[in-house]
This record gives sequence, C-alpha cells and structure tokens, in this order.
Amino acid sequence: MTDFLYPFIDADERDAPTLLADLARSAEAKARESRDLRSTTLASAAGVIDGAATAMADRFASGGRVFAFGNGGSATDAAALAALFVRPPAGRPLPALSLAADEAVVTALGNDVGFDLVFSRQIIAHVHSGDIVVGLSTSGSSDNVLAAFAEARRRGALTIGLAGFDGGRMAVSPDIDHCIVVRAESVHRIQETQAAVVVALWQAIQRGPRLEAVVSG
Amino acid sequence: MVQHSENGEALGPLAADLASAALALARRFAAGATLWCWAPAAPAHAQHVAVEFVHPVIMGKRALPSVAVTAGGDEGVGILRSLVRSGDAILVVGGASDAHVEAVMRRGPSWGAITLWVGSGDRPAPGAADHVLWREDDEALAGHDGRLVLVYHLLWELTHVCFEHPGLLTPGDEGAGPACTTCADEADVAEVVERRDDSATVRAAGRLLRIDTSLIDDVHAGDLVLVHAGAAISIVDEAR
Repeated sequence: MTDFLYPFIDADERDAPTLLADLARSAEAKARESRDLRSTTLASAAGVIDGAATAMADRFASGGRVFAFGNGGSATDAAALAALFVRPPAGRPLPALSLAADEAVVTALGNDVGFDLVFSRQIIAHVHSGDIVVGLSTSGSSDNVLAAFAEARRRGALTIGLAGFDGGRMAVSPDIDHCIVVRAESVHRIQETQAAVVVALWQAIQRGPRLEAVVSG
Repeated sequence: MVQHSENGEALGPLAADLASAALALARRFAAGATLWCWAPAAPAHAQHVAVEFVHPVIMGKRALPSVAVTAGGDEGVGILRSLVRSGDAILVVGGASDAHVEAVMRRGPSWGAITLWVGSGDRPAPGAADHVLWREDDEALAGHDGRLVLVYHLLWELTHVCFEHPGLLTPGDEGAGPACTTCADEADVAEVVERRDDSATVRAAGRLLRIDTSLIDDVHAGDLVLVHAGAAISIVDEAR
C-alpha cells in the first residue's frame, strides 16, 4: 500500500535495523521534498502573496478581522493562522478567529443545516464588508469552503484562498480575490507549505506601512 | 524566510530519531494503544496530530486511536493523568522550557506510556522523553511555518510503513513495556496517587502499588518518587 509513498522499501524485508535505516532515508527524502516545495512555492507565488498581504493590511488598518476556516488538518491550520495573528511571536496582535473552533456551533450547524453550510452560516452571522476571510483546502474543492467564499463575497469581504493540487474549484472561483495554490500531489506536503505561506503573509502584513499608520495611531 | 541550501540535509539526526519513534509507536498501536496528543502552547498541533491518525489522508490506511487534549497547564496534566492507560503513548508538541510538558514527559513511564516530545529550538535534556523529535536549526517560527507539522506528518507516514511489516510489530528490544514490570522492585519512578500515614498508593509502570513511605518526608499526591524494594527512597526533584 505504501509503495508509492516509499518505493524503495522492500516489502519482504523483516529485520528491524534494515527497516529503521529505510525509514530514516525515506524521512530525509520527504523532508527535502517539503523544503523544495516550500521554496519554489514562496518564490513562484511571491506576487500573489504580496498582493494578498497588502489587501489584508488595508482591511486590518480599517478595523477588519480575519475569519479562517478549513476541514480536518486544514481546520487546525486555520486555528494556527488565527493563533499566529492574535498572539504573534513578535509584532502587533491582529484580530483573527477560526470558524471550526467552537464545537457547539459546528455541530449545531452540521446537524441542523448540513455540513456544507457550517462555515457560510457563521459568515452570515459575523462577517462585514471590511472583514477578511481565509479559506484553506488542500483539494481546492471542499464544498463548505467554497460556500463560505460565496457568502463572504456577497457580504463584500476580502477573500483569500489557500489551495493545493491544481487549485481545484478554488483556482477558478470568481468569489476569491487572491488564491494561492501549492502545486503538489501530497496532502501533507501541501499543508506544510501552506503553513509557510501563512507565515509569509503574516510577515508581509507585519512589515507593511498601513499597519504601522493605524495601529500605532 | 530565507531557506537553507537545496543541497544540505533536511533532517540530519532527526531522520533516525523519527524512524525509531515510528517503530515504537507502531508497536504500541499494534498492542492496542491510544496516542494522546498535547500541545499546551499551541493546541492546533495536538489536534492536527490526532486527526492524522484517526482519519488518514490516504485511502486504505487504518484509522488509529488518537486523541488531542486541548486544555493547558495543570488542567491538561490532570486530564492526561486520568485518561492515559498503561500501554498507551503520549506525544507532546512544546518547547523544552515548558515545565508542564516536562512534568508529563517525566510521568509517562509511571503511567505505563511511552513518550514522544516534538519541538524546536533548544533541545530538552538527554533522556527527557523516550523519543525526542527535535528541529534544532529553528527558532520561534518553526512552530508556525510547517517545519514542526512536517515532523509529525513524517511520524504518521513512517508509522504506517511499519504496519507493512507485521513481523516487526511485536515488542522489540527498545525495552520494557509496562507488561514487563511485575513488581515494585523493578519500578524506577512512581507517581503518588494517595498518601496514607507511612504508606502510599503509587502508579508505577502503569500499575497501582502500595509502598512504604517511612523513609521520606512530606510526600503528596502527584509527586514522583523513586521506589526500591517496596519503599520510596526519595522524592524526584522537579524544581527547575
């Protein structure tokens, strides 16, 4: 089953030291792949990241907030994004929330209106035209993430998407202002680089002059 | 965010550490363990680890029992103390200077659990956990920019590779599971559950034992003690 992940592991091998050596070699190879994907993505997406960061900084400067969302590992990445913005290791705290954080809200909406609407219904409740939404989906095609972008667009919010693979439906969605695609085939490698993209966005926002002008003023 | 050279090693010694951690974890899972995940300073990491194991991204991979504990501090330690069973595994994502993390890593053996400590920056003291999975090249941002996520993604991937080798999943020479400890004499470190006069109930290698405490003063529930021949011989000093 893991042949495509670890092609050089011999399925018939049975002694622990050989397995351990193969595992270590695999880990190093995967880590290099992760590192390379991160550098190539940060380089090729530099323009989109910069544009998104500038637009986000403008919204922050006018009192906007970030609402981040995704499913599974992407939900935890959305939570990590919110944590980075709200409690940064350096720089200014910026208001950001994860829409998957509250189990009462997520289960109530999932049960009552369906899981496709767990994020969009919260956007109806929270989001105003000066706000920012950030949706993460490794496939680029999660229904509830796309529904949330559509609702955010209707409400005039700035919409930022982080997708993987070929960008899926997010890459061609008219509801997303800035879509950053991590072009890879592994969900894990995509998530690792999406985290790096989030940090790049955060750093660019923190450096931006708009933030300086308003938060300190 | 300047990247390192494309040619240098990406993991260094961490690659071998991940390999042995994955095999130990796979052996625990094969024997029925639950993996408890805790990241008191960044709970999203714990939830990310747990969802990887419970709901694999690759079709056909088995779902494995893994739970994130999201409370921090003393409350998180108390929740883990209640939930961790003998034979389980505890994975913590956190800095070397977090006293609560250190307390959990130290208690793992007395609860009968193996311990995995994932982090970056300054490395914990040698032996601070059964498996220290550390990114030493990094600073504050490693926890945010995907470099720690990579570490537990790799742990998940390698653990599943181990399941392709069922012959290697029986307890190995990496040591003593809790089942190997049959009496208090063999327990090095125990956690006091309840103190009563000159004796105490303690948890050692996942088992409850009654020990003599007449040799030590002022021992309380939650303290770690060194036990030899059925008696507590000293309290483990946890002051930093």
